[in-house]
Amino acid sequence: MELVLAAGIGIMTASGVWLILRPRTYQVIIGLSLLSYAVNLFIFGVGGLKSNAPPILEDGIDISKFADPVPQALVLTAIVIGFATTALFLVVLLASRGLTGTDHVDGREQPK
Amino acid sequence: MLLVLLPFAGSLAAAMLLSTASRILPAWLAGGVAFVCLAITAWFYPAVVGGGVIRYEIEWLPEFGLNFTLRMDGFAWMFSMLVSGIGFLVVVYARYYMSEEDPVPRFFSFLLAFMGAMLGIVVSGNVILLSIFWELTSIFSFLLISYWHQNAAARDGARMALTVTGIGGFSMLVGFLLLGHIVGSYDLDRILAAGDQIRAHQLYLPAIIFILIGALTKSAQFPFHFWLPNAMAAPTPVSAYLHSATMVKAGVFLLVRLWPALSGTYEWFWLVGAAGIVTLVLGAYFAMFQQDLKGLLAYSTISHLGLITTLLSLGSPLAAVAAIFHMINHATFKASLFMAAGIIDHETGTRDLRRLSGLFRYLPITATLAMVASAAMAGVPLLNGFLSKEMFFAESVETHADSILDRILPYVATVAGAFSVAYSLRFIHTVFFGPPPTDLPKEKPHEPPHWMRFPMEFLVFACLVVGIVPSLSIGPFLHTAVVAVLGDRTPQYSLAVWHGINTPLIMSVIALAGGAVLYFVLKDYLARCEDGPPLFRHLRGQRIFERILVTLSWKWARWMEARFGTRNLQPQLRLVTAAGFLAGFLPLYLSGFQPELPSPSSVDPAFAMIWLIGMFLAIGAAYQAKYHRLAALVLLGGAGLVTCATFIWLSAPDLAITQLLVEIVTTVLILLGLRWLPKREEKVDDGISFAARMRRFRDFALAVVCGVGMFLISYAVMTLPVPDAIANYFLERAYSEGGGRNVVNVILVDFRGFDTMGEIAVLGVVALTVFALLRRFRPAPDSIEIPEQQRIQNAFDDASPDRSEGDTVRDYLLVPSVIMQWLFPVIITLAVYIFMRGHDLPGGGFSAGIAMAIAFLLQYLAGGTRWAEDRLRILPLRWMGFGLLMAAATGIGSWFFGYPFLTSHSQYLEFPLIGKVPAATALLFDLGVFSLVVGATVLILIALAHQSIRMHRVRALETTRTEET
Amino acid sequence: MTGWQHHLIVAPVLIPLAAAALLLFFDERRRVLKAMIGIVSTVLLAGVAIALFRLELSASQPGNTFNGVYLLGNWPAPFGIVLVLDRLSALMLVLTAILAVPALVYSLARWHAAGAHFHTLFQLLLMGLSGAFLTGDLFNLFVFFEVMLAASYGLLLHGSGPLRVKAGLHYIAINLAAALLFLIGVSLIYGTTGTLNMADLALRIADLEPRSRMLMEAGAGVLGVAFLIKAGMWPLNFWLPTAYSAAAAPVAGIFAIMSKVGIYVILRLSLLLFGEGASGGFGLHVILFGGMATVAFGTIGVLASQALGRLAGFSVLVSSGTLLAALGLGNGAVTAGALFYLVSSTLTISAFFMLIELVERGQDAGASVLAVTMEAYGDVDEEEPEDEVGIAMPGTIAVLGTCFAACGILLSGLPPLSGFVAKFAMLSGMIGSGTAGQALLPASWWVVLFVILSGLAALIAMTRAGIRTFWTSMEGTVPRVLVMEVAPVLLLLSLTLALTVNAGPAMRYMDETVKILNTPIVYIDAVTTARRAGQEASEQPDGEGQD
Repeated sequence: MELVLAAGIGIMTASGVWLILRPRTYQVIIGLSLLSYAVNLFIFGVGGLKSNAPPILEDGIDISKFADPVPQALVLTAIVIGFATTALFLVVLLASRGLTGTDHVDGREQPK
Repeated sequence: MLLVLLPFAGSLAAAMLLSTASRILPAWLAGGVAFVCLAITAWFYPAVVGGGVIRYEIEWLPEFGLNFTLRMDGFAWMFSMLVSGIGFLVVVYARYYMSEEDPVPRFFSFLLAFMGAMLGIVVSGNVILLSIFWELTSIFSFLLISYWHQNAAARDGARMALTVTGIGGFSMLVGFLLLGHIVGSYDLDRILAAGDQIRAHQLYLPAIIFILIGALTKSAQFPFHFWLPNAMAAPTPVSAYLHSATMVKAGVFLLVRLWPALSGTYEWFWLVGAAGIVTLVLGAYFAMFQQDLKGLLAYSTISHLGLITTLLSLGSPLAAVAAIFHMINHATFKASLFMAAGIIDHETGTRDLRRLSGLFRYLPITATLAMVASAAMAGVPLLNGFLSKEMFFAESVETHADSILDRILPYVATVAGAFSVAYSLRFIHTVFFGPPPTDLPKEKPHEPPHWMRFPMEFLVFACLVVGIVPSLSIGPFLHTAVVAVLGDRTPQYSLAVWHGINTPLIMSVIALAGGAVLYFVLKDYLARCEDGPPLFRHLRGQRIFERILVTLSWKWARWMEARFGTRNLQPQLRLVTAAGFLAGFLPLYLSGFQPELPSPSSVDPAFAMIWLIGMFLAIGAAYQAKYHRLAALVLLGGAGLVTCATFIWLSAPDLAITQLLVEIVTTVLILLGLRWLPKREEKVDDGISFAARMRRFRDFALAVVCGVGMFLISYAVMTLPVPDAIANYFLERAYSEGGGRNVVNVILVDFRGFDTMGEIAVLGVVALTVFALLRRFRPAPDSIEIPEQQRIQNAFDDASPDRSEGDTVRDYLLVPSVIMQWLFPVIITLAVYIFMRGHDLPGGGFSAGIAMAIAFLLQYLAGGTRWAEDRLRILPLRWMGFGLLMAAATGIGSWFFGYPFLTSHSQYLEFPLIGKVPAATALLFDLGVFSLVVGATVLILIALAHQSIRMHRVRALETTRTEET
Repeated sequence: MTGWQHHLIVAPVLIPLAAAALLLFFDERRRVLKAMIGIVSTVLLAGVAIALFRLELSASQPGNTFNGVYLLGNWPAPFGIVLVLDRLSALMLVLTAILAVPALVYSLARWHAAGAHFHTLFQLLLMGLSGAFLTGDLFNLFVFFEVMLAASYGLLLHGSGPLRVKAGLHYIAINLAAALLFLIGVSLIYGTTGTLNMADLALRIADLEPRSRMLMEAGAGVLGVAFLIKAGMWPLNFWLPTAYSAAAAPVAGIFAIMSKVGIYVILRLSLLLFGEGASGGFGLHVILFGGMATVAFGTIGVLASQALGRLAGFSVLVSSGTLLAALGLGNGAVTAGALFYLVSSTLTISAFFMLIELVERGQDAGASVLAVTMEAYGDVDEEEPEDEVGIAMPGTIAVLGTCFAACGILLSGLPPLSGFVAKFAMLSGMIGSGTAGQALLPASWWVVLFVILSGLAALIAMTRAGIRTFWTSMEGTVPRVLVMEVAPVLLLLSLTLALTVNAGPAMRYMDETVKILNTPIVYIDAVTTARRAGQEASEQPDGEGQD
């Protein structure tokens, strides 16, 4: 299972990195979102993977059965912050597109 | 030690007077200050006579051995006499020299400050302190030289002086630091005492090189001499002060000061001697061919300083005596000569030697004074210049460090002497004798007011007295100074005028005669020739210097900035990713990390399937993002869903919920944004150059590498045995102390509530930024007009009479919109539900907030912006403010029970203040989160949604305008 | 716990937060009110910061029970989040507050009206900064970084305009990437050590199995990159001059401290986690050489930039480069000097940014190019008539000119201002009497060389710019400048003067700070032994928490 997840993270990272290196703002924002997925999964993963472990504390279940909650909390925070920054970046790229007339990351078309 | 502070105080006072119209007041102030300094110094004499030393110390940076240490011995005393005395005279002179319109307060304030700095150099007893004052002199001389800053010449001269001496100052600082390293202290006494240790140390050579660069730049020694002539653009009093007694003397002062510690080695002799001798000759040679009066004096100054430097290089006590003596003499006669030049300039309006002549009949007194002074400069007997020059000749004959340099010295000295005689003669003869001057800018020159001449008279008188009865006049003082420097190495020397016929005398006779002959040979040529000496005329240090400076500091710098920097985003991101990868990779690589190959065992097929899809989605998004934005967005959403599914699979329901909701909102946002991006048709891109292909390939490689890296690392971490994390603590306490069963949520609102607070702050900030930014939003021209679909629909509406614009849309969306409107209360209840259960079951303030926001969002989708806002009115800002306050207040609440910030109450139920409600305060905190999230999300959405309306308005405006025209 | 004064520790975060929340309730049009709120809270912040500073000072006297560790939510470390107030963080807090007040006052003249929500954003930026300086928890650090960054995005874009938006786009993109790296690093560290609390981390790092250690170091490396991006190390710093020079003057003024946050964190973590032990001195060389490269690049930029704004931006780079290189030497005396330099240069640059905007009012861009070409082919100059009568300067120009000169002196490290003292302190620690008896490292030689050259370059560039601005193009109309705008600049500059005069005590403080940083165990003990409220708080042993 780790293998699969790791592979997934790897692929997502790769596509994300490829995208943020592209010249179009839209590509960059998609890339950043992909990367943040990858990173969230990564954070989640470092706590060790446990499938169908009880999510909620109930009496009489010993603690070792639970998944490590800390990474989950971190991921939650990370998701929120990621959401916020994505929104911000989106608006900024719109504004840049509006003011410079192009959607190139440098605000002007590069000579190919 | 009032001495040093006083001038600065005076300068400040003068600066205060900047506004006054009176020209006398600042002059009096300056004169007074200078005079008081003089008096104070004089008053110190008894203390320093016979090798006494006064020390005065204030702790400043004791840890670093930098204290405000002032130290006055005989030598310092003599020098401060010179500085303050000549300073006083210069002030008197300047008061009459500066014209009516000049803003003199500025002038005098700079002058005083400079004097203060100079005194500081002289009396500072700590080398670092000395370098501080050293730099100060550079700065203030810059200001003084550029006093007439509307003249380009003044600006350039000043900047060059500052740059050159600044460089010198910096390197000197390094030299002093090295001295500190060798000796272990920056205190002057310690350093002077440690002479042998210094000379023996292996860092001796670098140390003296650095220090010498400082000293030689300051006193304009070859090859740094070129700044001095350009500094002549300064007002003449400034030149008289800087280039006779102070600025340039600082260099040789330093040489003398450190002479006991540094001199006497072969390196010293070569470095200092070479510089000195070359300067001596070149200066004198150049001086002969100057056409500018001050230029001539400037070069002669250079050559005289060269003489002093040469003397100091020899390393014999007698030479040192001669050097000190010549400093005094040079100061006196050179100052008076500059003043004379100033008077001539002032009276005739020109300094060009080709235009001046026969002024004797107009200003006889000035002429006489000038003659005496320049005779002293030429070293005519019965004048002070003669004595020190004799000593110099005597020393030059002696053998010190045997070498070519040493052997040629006598001849060089004689030649230089001859030159100096020649230019002195020229100065006098050309200016004062010969036919009366023709075309002078000012008609009828006449004697200046007496007080303007007084300083000259005084100085020349000094020349005479010293020259005739040296041992009675200057003798004791000189001795004091010498003793202070040489201590017990003080040699026997006599200041008699007549030593009988000996080599030095013969040399000076040759020099005098040769000089006279030389002048009369060259006379006619000089009268016509253009400025500058033959051979070197077109080789001007100034130009060379500036060219180099510009090339280095401008052309090359710009090229390199362009070369090593970039202003584009892509390369930067490339670097960032590369750096990130390397930072992760290198430590592993260097420490020989072995990634054990993953075994495909224990792979749950279903999970693998999910992820297979996920990977395709990701790659697809990457592939489509350029041309098919919508498709890319959908794919992205899909990837998000896969992530979400993963969370569920791995038993993290909270994450799943949040991820899902966030997913929705993000998608909507981007959808709203898509409309403002430019159209892009997929064109067959064979048009890309090879370079572009290479770029892509590189990016691709980078991406792959990063992906693989992440894969390996994450696999390694996941398979790592889980360390005894802090997790268990939470699991144990979550219910007992956190009062919640949903550990994750308890962590968020209680254990790590502070994180959450910061997180909502981020959300709030972003919302505000978005709002502020969109208020100024201007869409690109090509995305103003209505989207195609809407146009068609509107066209259809217009076509059929019974329909008004926009009906079609409404018809299309009739069913969904009704549903959505119905959904509104449902979702809100859902949100409340999620919120309430948050602490015990998956959910919580954040997800609830997003859900709520979605509810509002749906209304917008359903009825369109206007409709929605007619019906429900939301004040996002209030929501946000409330949220933040709520969170903060909850936290602060716990203070009142003596607990730290954010302590949630549920953990000490034994307190009889709140009922048995579990996690009461945590819930309040969560409420804050909820409220902020709603506010922020809605604000962002609305801000984006509003754009389309605003566009309607814009378009309406445009149409009306077109109709009017 | 020690009563109310102990709660002060969290105040630097709460005051701005509360103010920001309050500001949201009022409409944009009520400018005066908003300005008042902003000022009050900022001044309050400054007061609190100074109070904390004094507390921390007094804490080092024996018998004082003031404890700099604050357990948020009353959870013991390492489980809850702790705020740790030690000498370093106290210093940074004071610096922040001292920069904030003038910047805000300056902005009131006109800038705060240039866009929506200026004050809210400003307050939240302060919150982020304070939090980042105070927190003792790695992930919490991330959160406050984000608060700070988000606010800085907002402020950078404040006033909009193509330039700002372009700069902002780059700034945001790069910092988002940096944030992702940050997360990766943190989670790697958590995954290998199982803790987020810095002190606890320092303990656990000591005994990691090799495999975990390797991964942990990888994480630390990635984390380091994130910080270095913030600190502006070459080659990760090209965004910085553009962004800073594009920002509005007061914003740039407060940004001056932001690049120092990265430095702060590097200093703190490298000494706390990698002071000694198996991973000792981790990444020190990177910092050293990176720092030198940064100084070199910054110097080139300073020389090459025409617009004053970019010049200032590049001098930010020079300053962080110098700091990094100095820290990279890993020598106590140098580090102390570097701290002094940090304070001095931050004040300088902040003042400079605000000054530039005043100076450049009524300046034409063309003049710059002209001046340089004239310098190159200066033969032209001789022709122009030389009337040897000085011209009186208008008062405004005189004041501005003085400030400019002061900035130049500070940037190029000339006496008498604090720039020189700072430089001297660092150099003396490298090759001066500080090293008497020991052999000199070649590395120190290089650093010395770079520091000196950068000073020289600053001197050349500043004289060139100053002459161009104040003397050649004097015909330009005298800019209209309000006292409200000059006063902050003057205040900051006079602070540097005060710093010079009190160099002795200041350096002593820095020395102490570095000594304590070099003995991490003090910090660790303070954090790990901090008691929860309600648990025999009175029986705290004396002297605990002297971090």
